[in-house]
Amino acid sequence: AATAPGKKITARLKRTLPVRGPQAPTLSELMRWYCLNTNTHGCRRIVVSRGRLRRLLWILLTLSAVGLILWQCAELLMNYYSASVSVTVQFQKLPFPAVTICNINPYKYSAMKEYLSELDKETKKALETFYGFSEGKSKVRRSVDDWNSTGSDFFQQIPLLKVEDFSRTATDLHSGQKRKIEGSVFHKDSSIVNSGDSNDIIGFQLCDANNRSECALYTFSSGVNAIQEWYKLHYMNIMAQIPLETKEKLSYSADDLLLTCFFDGLSCDKRHFTRFHHPLHGNCYTFNSGKNGTILSTSTGGSEYGLQVVLYIDEADYNPFLVTSTGAKIIVHDQNEYPFIEDIGTEIETAAATSIGMHFTRSRKLSKPYSDCTETGADIPVENLYNKSYSLQICLHSCFQKAMVDSCGCAQYAQPLPAGAEYCNYKKNPNWMYCYYRLHEKFVKEQLGCQQICKDACSFKEWALTTSIAQWPSTVSEDWMLRVLSWDKGQKLNKKLNKTDLANLMVFYKDLNERFISENPANTLVILLSNFGGQLGLWMSCSVVCVIEIVEVFFIDSLSIVLRRQWQKAKKWWRGRQRAGAPERQGHHNPACLDEDLPTFTTALRLPLPQDGPLPRTPPPNYSTLRLEAAFTEQLPDTLELGRR
Amino acid sequence: MNLKKYLVRALHRLQKGPGYTYKELLVWYCDNTNTHGPKRIIKEGPKKKLIWFFLTLLFASLVFWQWGILINTYLSYNVTSSLSIGFKTMKFPAVTVCNANPFKYSEVKHLLKELDRLIEAALERILQPTPGNGSENLSPPLNLELWNQIPLVLIDEHDKDNPIILDIFETNQTAVGNETAMGNETKKKYKLAVKLCSHQGSDNCTYRNFSSAAQAVTEWYILQSTSILSKVPLHERIRMGYQAEDMILACLYGAEPCNYKNFTQIYHPDHGNCYIFNWGMDEEALNSSNPGAEFGLKLILDISQQDYIPYLSSAAGARLMLHQQKSFPFLKDQGIYAMAGTETSIGVLVDELERMGYPYSDCTVNGSDVPVKNLYSQYNTSYSIQACLRSCFQNHMVEICGCGHYMFPLPEGVSYCNNEDNPGWAYCYSSLRSSIKQRQICIDSCKETCNDTQYKMTISMADWPSEASEDWIFHILSYERDMSTNVTLDRNGIIKLNIYFQEYNYRTISESAATTIVWLLSSLGGQFGFWMGGSVLCLIEFGEIIIDSLWITIINVISWCKGLKQRRARAQYPDAPPTVSELVEAHTNLGFQHEAVGAVPGAEALPPEPGTPPPNYDSLRVQPPGPDSDADTE
Repeated sequence: AATAPGKKITARLKRTLPVRGPQAPTLSELMRWYCLNTNTHGCRRIVVSRGRLRRLLWILLTLSAVGLILWQCAELLMNYYSASVSVTVQFQKLPFPAVTICNINPYKYSAMKEYLSELDKETKKALETFYGFSEGKSKVRRSVDDWNSTGSDFFQQIPLLKVEDFSRTATDLHSGQKRKIEGSVFHKDSSIVNSGDSNDIIGFQLCDANNRSECALYTFSSGVNAIQEWYKLHYMNIMAQIPLETKEKLSYSADDLLLTCFFDGLSCDKRHFTRFHHPLHGNCYTFNSGKNGTILSTSTGGSEYGLQVVLYIDEADYNPFLVTSTGAKIIVHDQNEYPFIEDIGTEIETAAATSIGMHFTRSRKLSKPYSDCTETGADIPVENLYNKSYSLQICLHSCFQKAMVDSCGCAQYAQPLPAGAEYCNYKKNPNWMYCYYRLHEKFVKEQLGCQQICKDACSFKEWALTTSIAQWPSTVSEDWMLRVLSWDKGQKLNKKLNKTDLANLMVFYKDLNERFISENPANTLVILLSNFGGQLGLWMSCSVVCVIEIVEVFFIDSLSIVLRRQWQKAKKWWRGRQRAGAPERQGHHNPACLDEDLPTFTTALRLPLPQDGPLPRTPPPNYSTLRLEAAFTEQLPDTLELGRR
Repeated sequence: MNLKKYLVRALHRLQKGPGYTYKELLVWYCDNTNTHGPKRIIKEGPKKKLIWFFLTLLFASLVFWQWGILINTYLSYNVTSSLSIGFKTMKFPAVTVCNANPFKYSEVKHLLKELDRLIEAALERILQPTPGNGSENLSPPLNLELWNQIPLVLIDEHDKDNPIILDIFETNQTAVGNETAMGNETKKKYKLAVKLCSHQGSDNCTYRNFSSAAQAVTEWYILQSTSILSKVPLHERIRMGYQAEDMILACLYGAEPCNYKNFTQIYHPDHGNCYIFNWGMDEEALNSSNPGAEFGLKLILDISQQDYIPYLSSAAGARLMLHQQKSFPFLKDQGIYAMAGTETSIGVLVDELERMGYPYSDCTVNGSDVPVKNLYSQYNTSYSIQACLRSCFQNHMVEICGCGHYMFPLPEGVSYCNNEDNPGWAYCYSSLRSSIKQRQICIDSCKETCNDTQYKMTISMADWPSEASEDWIFHILSYERDMSTNVTLDRNGIIKLNIYFQEYNYRTISESAATTIVWLLSSLGGQFGFWMGGSVLCLIEFGEIIIDSLWITIINVISWCKGLKQRRARAQYPDAPPTVSELVEAHTNLGFQHEAVGAVPGAEALPPEPGTPPPNYDSLRVQPPGPDSDADTE
């Protein structure tokens, strides 16, 4: 029978496969068929094993393998969203960051005189009353009556109080009267709660303008803090009423602040700096802000190739109450970032050369679903009030400002204005300070929900700074240096500059290695599937085909068998009922049972196909030849197959 | 005929194959392969057959697609990083200390005397522009030769479009005076610039502008002094610098005392004599196994600020740097200052980055594959990116200007630039220095090292010595250094340094390959297994089947060729051709109409004997099988 080995194989197949899935008469037959013919290992062992113990063992093993697969695959799925970190270092030309430089003192004190003289007078009086401090010996101590005549707005608005902690009475600076404190006491410094013996605590009281009984007392362990905080409150009130253009004029110009500038071995001047008005620090100047479209870059590291500036800090023109330290503040940031100088600035000492070495690191996190960060901030329900790219700090500040406008009706001075709002001042919003303090308290205690709404930015740039200080100018070079710098400053200044008015600043890249820390998805779909495949293959040598098989056998086929049996049962029952009434009919039930009477050619053609008859595509055989062949079937099974084909 | 039989037998022997036709082969393959899909194709009913056929195709293509992705992933050579932080016993970093000022002014005064007088005179003229005072009164006349090599000029920018250039010592100095006097009222419009010419007296000149006179003076002074000092031999320069015993007053490492002899002297062009502690060149590097200031290095330095060169360095202090053993200290890049009169405490965290080399990242292990000659190898130091960049610059400088710059080591057979021998060097140098192209070439040709170690420093400062302790400390230190009872030190020169490991002294980021060959194989296996339950053996099986089918093709082609030949032969010598009825009878089988179609492709493999008529259907049934029967049964 070498004629058709392929057909022989098919025949053999058919013999070994007496029943196919849905044709199996019973479920157990189906299971047996499945176990014998499935591609997964283990199941076959159950069927072919002899002996009950062995079979049980195989059942257990197979089940545990299935369990293991499920467990491991679940683990794989659960760890799908994990990220791996990669750090790359690239040596390249680096973009120089924006460097924002501010004088610590925001406005020239001499220019601010007309706005602040009242407040300063009051502050000096307070100092005199509480601490017996008077600036000039010539000043005559004024009596309490004098104060009233000057019309101290400031004390009426927010009275400074000396508090005796335990009796909860306070001496009012303004009236000199003792009064009972109502409302809650907020300690700015919590330590004083423990130290019982410090009975003279200074603070100020903020009251709700609409409801006078609603008051909050803020106390400080030290008068330095109290006076400064009190001064700042009033100062912000005053500044809020001054338009921006005036404020810019009151502050330092680029010529005032910058004496010399040197970048990347070349001279630079004020044109390289962009003015930026900061509400608390006045005019700040940003080097390399990218405003004119170009961002400078450095192609050599080292101090001589960075930014070198000499700053002129006019210490004599400082506001004595607002700022108590001298120098400049700088911040290194990206061109798109808002410089939060008050939060993360670095202070620069005068009469010294501050050398700041930078090391650049760029980081990128994966956003959802790997971590809870935001790419652009567009998905955060807080409006970005700053005209800069999103950062957590911007979000928090904007969120607070928003809450401030919503609940107090005006905007806080230190942050930008939302559309349609204006800065608080107590002429228009007499209540704002109380409101602000209450809100700030809430903000710090995370009750405003800002901390929950705001998310980190996914990518950020960081310049790690190494700051060191040297004496500058050195004793021997001081003389000529100051002379030449005075000349630089312009001959207007007849006096020679003092070295404590100068600060030398060097900002440079330590090296041009950019570190890029990025998160990458540890898994991709391909890898996940590979791992699945590995697990399935390891425990059971299974594949998707097996899964389809299982679906096929356990769901479709089993269901069809069950349904068929139900159908047959129903039919039987129906027949039983019919038989009771009508005579039995058999024609439908056994269509292949042809022995009863020989059908003619035509009837044979009409007959439905026998159950394991020829495949539908083969033509129906001639009836007579079929019968004839049937006689040979016993001897020549192969030819039978041939005939059927 | 014989040949074909032989071939058939040969095929049998070779393959022990499962069939003679493609179909048999495929069926056999599908039945016996270990991949999961194909078996289903032949085992199921006709509809399911079709479904399974497409499923198998789909899975196979999925497998190949995903394999492509995996191989691509592998070839991108990704790395994963692991971070470890903690404390371990580590080599204490090499500590380089220098004075911000390179030479003692008292020692170099005789060399720089002319220069200082020039600049003083020039400043005098610039700052007090009333003619006929000061400078003329100086007894010896000024040596204008130095000045004329690289002059400082004033640029009058009252008229933006055509600035007037005024030489300070030229004849029209009175005019300068008047102009400046006028400038008193108006805004300052003068700028100081350095005039650089390619040759002395030539017209090819550039003016290096400075917004600040201080900067201009410093730059000019550096250029001039560089030219003067480059002529001084090295041992003389070392002698003029600060000596170890003068500079390092006290040293304590952990509990062990050390002194200036523990420091290795190195001549640094920027800072003169520098001293390196724990460089590890001669002896083993010291380990530190405890965190905290008590176990670190404590130094007391004297920078003697009175002896500074006034115009050269305006910042006063010590320059120090922490670096790896056997590496050259590039103080301008990585160095920090320590201020006189203070105690500077430096907590150190070693930040290491260990990277994989090629092909994972483009870094170099020891610099041997970098196309730049490392000039710093004469110091016996290891490769670093700074060394490469500087060497690259110096090589360019030698190439273009014909002499080496004083700040960098010299290649062999080249001398340092000076005004006498290379009059145009300053022009050449400053154009080279600001050339973006040159920098880019250097950046492109240098590679970073694979192991990048940084010392992260937490710097804090306090005043030292305190007012109360000042007297006795100065007294002791002066006594120890100079053997005198007089105090020879003061606040402006004395520096205390503490360098120690922090509680966590290392942070190591090390890379490992994210995709190894093992990973690739297991992922490939996983994919193949997942979709088709296949393995390498399945691939081999498939290859086998392809070989088999090739054999079958060969046989078919041969037999077809034979048939063609025979047909031609028949055409040449026509035998009794079969009648039409015979032909019809051969091909039609009554009642089996469908097979008539199938008989056509079988006609290619013609029966071997051309003369014999094709067999009748009935006779076929009992005919013993032969190689010719294929055509008929189809």
